[in-house]
Amino acid sequence: MKQAILKALLSHYWRHPWQALFLLLGLTAGVGLWSAVQIINHHAEASYAQADSLLGVQANYWIRNRSEQGIAQADYIELRRAGFRQIFPVIEGQVITPDGQLISIIATDLLALRQSMPEETVDQTFNGIDNWLQLVQKPYRAWVPQQLADEFALIQGDQLQLRDGRQLPPALIQAQTQQGRRIFMDISAAFTLFDTDQFNYITVGQLTTEQFDLLTSLLPDSLALVQNQQQLDLSELTQSLHTHLSAMSLLSFAVGLFIVFNAVRFSLWHRRETLMNLRLMGVSVKALISAILFETLIWSLIGTVSGVICGLTIGNWLLPGLSQSLFNLYGATIDAVIALQSETLLLAWGITLVGLLWALAWPMYLQLKHDVLDANSPTLRHQAENSSRQQLALFSLPLLIMAFILFQTMETAVAGFALLGLLLFAAAWLLPTLLALGLKFAQVCVPKQRLIGRWMVSDGWSQMPAFRSAMMALLLAMTANLGVGTLVDSFRSAFIGWLEVRQNADIYVNSSQSNIVQLLASEQAPGKTSLWLADSHRQIGITTRWKDQPTLVNGADTRAPDSLRFPLAQWLGDTPDDALALWRDNSNYILANEQLHYLGGLKLGQTIQLDTDQGPVDYKVVGFFYDYGNPKFQFYLSYEEVAKRWKYHYSRGTALWLKPDSTSNGPSSRQQAEKSFLANGINRADWISQDEIRTLSVNIFERTFAITAAMNSLTLIVAAIALLASLLAIMQERLPEFAQWRALGVNTREQFLIICSPLLIFVVIAWLLAIPLGAVLSWLLIQKLNIVSFGWSMPMLWKMAPAWQLGGLVLVIVIVTLLLSLLQLRRRLPDALAELGELS
Amino acid sequence: MLSIKNLYKSFGQPGIEVCVLDSLSFEMQPASSVALLGESGSGKSTLLHLIAGLDKAQSGDIEFAGQQLSSLNESALANMRRHQISLVFQQFHLISTLSVFDNIRFQAALCQRFDNAFEAQLIDRLGLSSLLKKLPHQLSRGQQQRVAIARALLHKPKLVLADEPTGNLDEQSSLEVMAVFTDLVKSAGSSLLMVTHSKEMATFMQRSVLLHNGLLSDI
Repeated sequence: MKQAILKALLSHYWRHPWQALFLLLGLTAGVGLWSAVQIINHHAEASYAQADSLLGVQANYWIRNRSEQGIAQADYIELRRAGFRQIFPVIEGQVITPDGQLISIIATDLLALRQSMPEETVDQTFNGIDNWLQLVQKPYRAWVPQQLADEFALIQGDQLQLRDGRQLPPALIQAQTQQGRRIFMDISAAFTLFDTDQFNYITVGQLTTEQFDLLTSLLPDSLALVQNQQQLDLSELTQSLHTHLSAMSLLSFAVGLFIVFNAVRFSLWHRRETLMNLRLMGVSVKALISAILFETLIWSLIGTVSGVICGLTIGNWLLPGLSQSLFNLYGATIDAVIALQSETLLLAWGITLVGLLWALAWPMYLQLKHDVLDANSPTLRHQAENSSRQQLALFSLPLLIMAFILFQTMETAVAGFALLGLLLFAAAWLLPTLLALGLKFAQVCVPKQRLIGRWMVSDGWSQMPAFRSAMMALLLAMTANLGVGTLVDSFRSAFIGWLEVRQNADIYVNSSQSNIVQLLASEQAPGKTSLWLADSHRQIGITTRWKDQPTLVNGADTRAPDSLRFPLAQWLGDTPDDALALWRDNSNYILANEQLHYLGGLKLGQTIQLDTDQGPVDYKVVGFFYDYGNPKFQFYLSYEEVAKRWKYHYSRGTALWLKPDSTSNGPSSRQQAEKSFLANGINRADWISQDEIRTLSVNIFERTFAITAAMNSLTLIVAAIALLASLLAIMQERLPEFAQWRALGVNTREQFLIICSPLLIFVVIAWLLAIPLGAVLSWLLIQKLNIVSFGWSMPMLWKMAPAWQLGGLVLVIVIVTLLLSLLQLRRRLPDALAELGELS
Repeated sequence: MLSIKNLYKSFGQPGIEVCVLDSLSFEMQPASSVALLGESGSGKSTLLHLIAGLDKAQSGDIEFAGQQLSSLNESALANMRRHQISLVFQQFHLISTLSVFDNIRFQAALCQRFDNAFEAQLIDRLGLSSLLKKLPHQLSRGQQQRVAIARALLHKPKLVLADEPTGNLDEQSSLEVMAVFTDLVKSAGSSLLMVTHSKEMATFMQRSVLLHNGLLSDI
């Protein structure tokens, strides 16, 4: 019996394969986009969990120079001689390719590392490398991950050219866990590459208490043993970014669900006669519900598998950009190869099932709640359409109330996204009522005597049930597009303006302190007029923890050109200059970044206490400065104060302003500066021009938002599929009606207009609603969510141009989908005409 | 007015063809009425569709109002139906989003041909005065069919093609509707070709023809 019912119900899809296709497409698109982000997030989290391991060796501690100046080889050798086999020296650096991409290099003593490894770890780590000795013997090898090799079209043995003319050692292309986009090499190769004789730090593996005490006692005063908290920090720092991605993926899933909803509604509508006949033959409603639930289960399994496969593909496509952004913004390295976790698969199945049940429950309830013969009554269908519209509008009210309450209490990114979700769904559920009002208004606008015109508009009532879900999906996609687009534009504008203020020096030098001090001393010696140097700003800093978060305390020359124009978001006094004057004149006044205000809870005028080498010292906060892209807390004190309070401060680079070029034909200021750099032992890799640093920063920004743009586009594509599915459903559902119109003498052009007019009215209403809704979304993203997530504030930059562009794009989508569906109509109409007069 | 010569129509693929109309010829004069009888599957509806230009024959000619249908394209055929031919089916196919009044006026509006006096007559004779503001789904089947008839006649087409127009109604209603229908067709000055199974319905027509084995014969 049950088998027979199922066969009767499922046979529908054999006869209407494209309905099955759309159902599958909706599930695949929704689950695919959602699972892509889930897979990436899980993958990133798994990578963060391994963040403290390098080439399979766990880094529980680091030995760092207190002034971050580097560690002498002699110190390392001494520790090895003392019997510490779990310590490995590291040189970390970044190089820039000719096209301006930053690549991270990480080098260690590969020979020592290999010797200290258990055999199985050696096999795992060096697996696939024929002759590993080539890594540690001249000319050495640059151990390049496959993904990076593909990106730069490198083959084994190729030498990657750098912007400054240097070359990396010959490439050894080999995938390695936890390598990300980093290039590994032996420490000896790095000495040559970075022209140094010091290590950046030493990683330390597991230590017993005795070993810990011994190591601490052996370390010279300038070196410190620091516990590795990288895993914890990365998880915290990147949490907001992953929440953002999850929210976008949920939106895509919701949009995909609208296609599913439409497909399910249509398949049930199409099977209404089968359902009625089964009920007439004595099949109970309960049995029918069971059969449909079983069908749902099958679809959920198929949808999960196809969705997750699609998700893996999208995830692999999005991963390189995201991993580069995570590395640039947070220093996080994530693996190039994505692995699917069973919990993602189960979760995907769970939400697919819930989504399908939600999409199925309502239409099934409508279909089965009536008496057997009433189920197909046009009157009841008409009433059901009206009441479902009203019910959706009613359901939207509690959502709006909940959104309002959440708005008042919102403190976390998750709450913020819940608020956005509530708001978007409330608007989507209100949309059918607004469409109905729009139709009524359009009907009023058409003069009474223009019967055909009124007919074209009023046909919207017949199209409404089929378009309802598609319009909701389109509204969500358009709103997200406008809202996120405004966020990105506002951020781009604020970020570029901020870069112009913060990075207004001509050249930035990041060399060892002695070299730059020597250079500045010679150029700014009393009585000497430098040929090229107009001004300089040398900064120092220390890394500490504040409220258990990684925090930088910088020492700045308070009278340097960039310090005088510090971009303050909030300040004590009437103007930013008042606050900067206070900061300049009082060593116990401090500037803090906005992150400290919004995420750290610091208030303007508040006195904070920092642990210095001379004990705790109080500082008063006189201003909060914009600090876009920085995930860490940051303070600014005067140079002298930091130098005085912290013994082991380190150089944070030097900004140099060049004199304007003279009109004579002599060398330019830049050429003279570069000549002086080289003469003072500053390598080409140690300086970067303003243009280069701005290009790098803008590239990082663009890459970070590329994933957002990709998700936005994909969501819009999913909405376009929903629209096409609806149009095809209408063509199928109303084919006999269209044939009858033809029989009445309605020509192709009129038929086209009848189908188009209501659709255009719907799209225009959805677009008009998406504009204010997009503005609200962007306002919430910029003024609320961005602040609670990242601690950055910026002015909202609202423009109508993107809304017009989106309107144009949606119009193109509508025209394309209309043409596709009209082609389908043209193909099927002759059969429908031949069937005219037969019982439908 | 309507002249059909050697019309041939078959269905199916070559080799397994089913011939429905075989060298069929037929003439119909203006303002005449013909009942088209025949067994189920004999090709009555097919013939109606061919005359209305909704389907195409494999060979033969259909000339209507001086025009060869085979020479007209889709747009011209639609134009011909709009101005000169009305179809009435067993399903009423009213436009669900328009009121009864707008449905009645629909085809007249398409061809911009209104006759207010005749409109009043149609509404009165078909008993639709109290229903004009209602929507189709608020009407009974009989009422819907009467609206469909009014819609088909208001613009006074040359030819009305009806395919079992009362097939959905009970016997009493069928007789009542048919009496008014044929009367109004006369008032409109139209010709009527009606497919029916019922000999009783055929008595309302001036002439009856039987379609059998692809050929028409008078009865």
